[in-house]
Amino acid sequence: MFSISSCEKDDICDANTPTTPRLIIEFYDINNSTILKNVTNLKVIGKGKTEGIIFNTSTTDSKYLTNGTKISIPLKTDMDSATYQFILNSGNANASLIDTDEVTFNYTRKDIFVSRACGFKTVFSLNLTNPYTQTAVPATKPKWMYISVDKSNIENENETHIKVYF
Amino acid sequence: MKHTLKYIFSFCFLMSLFLVQAQKTVSTPTTTDQNKLEGKITEAPKQDLVKPAVTSVSDTIPVKMNRYGVRVGVDLYKLTRGFYDSNYKGVELVGDYRLTKNYYLAAELGNENKTTVDSRLTSTAKGTYIKAGFDYNGYENWLNMENIISIGLRYGMSTFNQQLDSFKIYNPNPYWGELPSIPSGEKYSGLTAGWIEVVAGLKVKVINNIFVGFSLRMNTLLFNKQPDNFENLYIPGFNRTYAGNFGAGFNYTVTYFVPLYKKKAIPKKNN
Repeated sequence: MFSISSCEKDDICDANTPTTPRLIIEFYDINNSTILKNVTNLKVIGKGKTEGIIFNTSTTDSKYLTNGTKISIPLKTDMDSATYQFILNSGNANASLIDTDEVTFNYTRKDIFVSRACGFKTVFSLNLTNPYTQTAVPATKPKWMYISVDKSNIENENETHIKVYF
Repeated sequence: MKHTLKYIFSFCFLMSLFLVQAQKTVSTPTTTDQNKLEGKITEAPKQDLVKPAVTSVSDTIPVKMNRYGVRVGVDLYKLTRGFYDSNYKGVELVGDYRLTKNYYLAAELGNENKTTVDSRLTSTAKGTYIKAGFDYNGYENWLNMENIISIGLRYGMSTFNQQLDSFKIYNPNPYWGELPSIPSGEKYSGLTAGWIEVVAGLKVKVINNIFVGFSLRMNTLLFNKQPDNFENLYIPGFNRTYAGNFGAGFNYTVTYFVPLYKKKAIPKKNN
């Protein structure tokens, strides 16, 4: 009986259990703010990382690129801010078409108990006064993203937290 | 887990019913055996051998007395576990009092200090518990035997506290790297829980008044005061908790019987 219980289901964290959420960003048309707009070859790299966030199951480097309207990016669970480069038209042969913005999200964290198997999860709350700081790279170029915080409490992945107009 | 426990629970219950029934079915063949024996004896030699056998039987029946008293002892499993398991310290005192021929008042009193190491959490539960109820002995003893095969019920209650020693953050997208477990030390005190136990037990007299026993227990939580932002992962006396209300346990006891008085055994009508 005890040997059975040691390898029972409730010792393994079910993949469907909502745990640490990612930041959900949706892209909208800056000319018509209610219409979702597809990005073109967007690549997101965390500061200090060499590889981008994986957006699809492709086996080549195109797994770092997305052409959708929505992305999910993991925040840092051990720090109160995380910085990313958002690279539009990444890899384009014409370097002048590549737009890069560096964005730092500032937040507070809370560790919430989930279960024996899953342990804890971290939920985030974007700072009300300075939820993010944004610079263009290089700074001489205009920023390509117009960022708006839709939901400052990041507790699950079922809702959009950030809306980006471009 | 809930389902498997339920299954084990009902299976043990079924087994315990078999135990009780087994006694009844065994008793009938013995009477037929006796008849067979008597039949053979009457056929064989003659008067001389038959008479002494009959008189000796009529002598022993009125002599049979049942002893009543208190049995006290300790759970050897909990006591010895501390020697080989550094995450456990505990003691459980057990006792029962014979009320009638088959019914015993029974109780357990214990204290546990257990550190549970799960893959993402390490926590320590400390506390005291008491269980009280009764045992029903379904075993029909021969002559002066005093063995017990019992089924019983207990109400259990525990007051305890828990400490979260360390934990891990579950992050299904570890882009920034998997983080090591975080030391905590957060204490959750003033916790209580109550439960019902179904006990299947066995006690065998080894010498004079010393008994060794084993019992299996299936528990159902009645109430469980949970801390904020944590969970009672181990309840002293109840043991590990599962997703549902079910739990399980066992003990391995050595007890000493203190006889208080004797009562004549009322013989059952077998013949």
